[in-house]
Amino acid sequence: MSKGLRAITFILFFIFGLLINLQFKGIIMAEPKNGATAKELAAQLELEKRENEKLMEQLTNIEAEREMLWRNIGDNLNNQEINELLKKRDYEFLRAGLVTVSGRGVVITMEDAPAVGELDIEEYIIHDNNVNDILDELKVNGAQAISVNGERVVLTTKPVCAGPTIIVNESRYPPPYVIKAIGDPDVLYDAIENMPQVAFMRLTNIRIDVEKQEEITINRYRMYSTLENSLKGLEVVN
Amino acid sequence: MKTFKTISLTAVCLVLGIIVAWQYRSVKMNQVLAQYEKKNVSEIIEELLIEKNNNENLKQRIQELQKEVDTFKAGETGVRENVEALERSVLAARVKAGLETVKGAGLIITIEAGGLKTVEDRHIEELINELKASDVQAISVNDERIVAMSEIRKAGDYIMVNGNQLVPPYTIKAIGQADNMERSLRLLGGVLEKFQYFEFKTTLKKEENVVIPAIREEYIKTDMLTPVVQ
Repeated sequence: MSKGLRAITFILFFIFGLLINLQFKGIIMAEPKNGATAKELAAQLELEKRENEKLMEQLTNIEAEREMLWRNIGDNLNNQEINELLKKRDYEFLRAGLVTVSGRGVVITMEDAPAVGELDIEEYIIHDNNVNDILDELKVNGAQAISVNGERVVLTTKPVCAGPTIIVNESRYPPPYVIKAIGDPDVLYDAIENMPQVAFMRLTNIRIDVEKQEEITINRYRMYSTLENSLKGLEVVN
Repeated sequence: MKTFKTISLTAVCLVLGIIVAWQYRSVKMNQVLAQYEKKNVSEIIEELLIEKNNNENLKQRIQELQKEVDTFKAGETGVRENVEALERSVLAARVKAGLETVKGAGLIITIEAGGLKTVEDRHIEELINELKASDVQAISVNDERIVAMSEIRKAGDYIMVNGNQLVPPYTIKAIGQADNMERSLRLLGGVLEKFQYFEFKTTLKKEENVVIPAIREEYIKTDMLTPVVQ
């Protein structure tokens, strides 16, 4: 009896020691490898983002200052030519999507299905194609300005899928995707509600809300380089 | 003595059980975390690169503007220079909007049905979206300029772009980095491979001087837009 007990105790302590060893090793191995790099990178990203905010504010300020100087020249010198040009510039900037605008229209909110059912997981999440289909439908139905998660849609805007997020105009956005469009609210609403793709997405519980609104504000295209630089490689032909 | 042994054995077993449970949970937890972190690291790196690039461009832009404002304030710019600067920005905005005919290096792609399947609006759309994703500067389909709000839709057997009916063969012109654009079109399982499957006849040519015409002035409508002063 005493021998049997001793053997059992021996085995128990052996396993006990092994487990403590394993646990200890697990903690030592796991912590620095996985934690630090991701944490470090996330911290760096956070810094860059804060820097970006600061720079954007600086840019807005200096743009406002330059604008004031322009207006002053026009007014003080009573320079007709400058005033005319400023008016023309404002109009062309409006047409190029370089001005923040407001108007009537629709707001569409899209979100992945809350739970995955028995179909392939791909059927329950929103893809860039889905967003592009909606953008095309809005354009066909006379939308005059569109934004995706606050990013103005211009010629070169093409939402790209990147894992569970999408990249629009150089910035990454997680769902929900919010598409705003200025145009005839009734026409746009009916067009989106009647899209077969929308009906399909709703079948798998992907959420698509379409809402008519009287006052929508759509941001201007955020330019990170000068207008002239962004047109490199193009020559105007008369 | 016997009670002592029983008690100590019970204590050891209890601690052992707790440790086993703890170990199990921590292993499971680590698996979950590692998966999550793996996904995140590449995502974070990608986002970090985009953000760094944006900040670099922003700094340059701010510097440029600062210089402009400084010379402005110093009164070094004459009326003529001011007028010219404004005219330049008007022209640049018109080019951006697609209101000027432009020329540059790029690609010319032609597509025509070869088998039973006709070329449809969504095929052209797919091709254009692929070009947009590779830094294109200007696009046209059968010389209809594609702008931000351009629509491409079906009209019977043909397609309509900007409200004009187009007939095949479709010629798509694109100004931009020709090599980048070609690469993304030729990707395995990409647009061109799909077109092959539909038996479309496609040609792809790099050109130094691609000319893309302007869009009609009245096409870009702004009557529903109210500028917001910031």
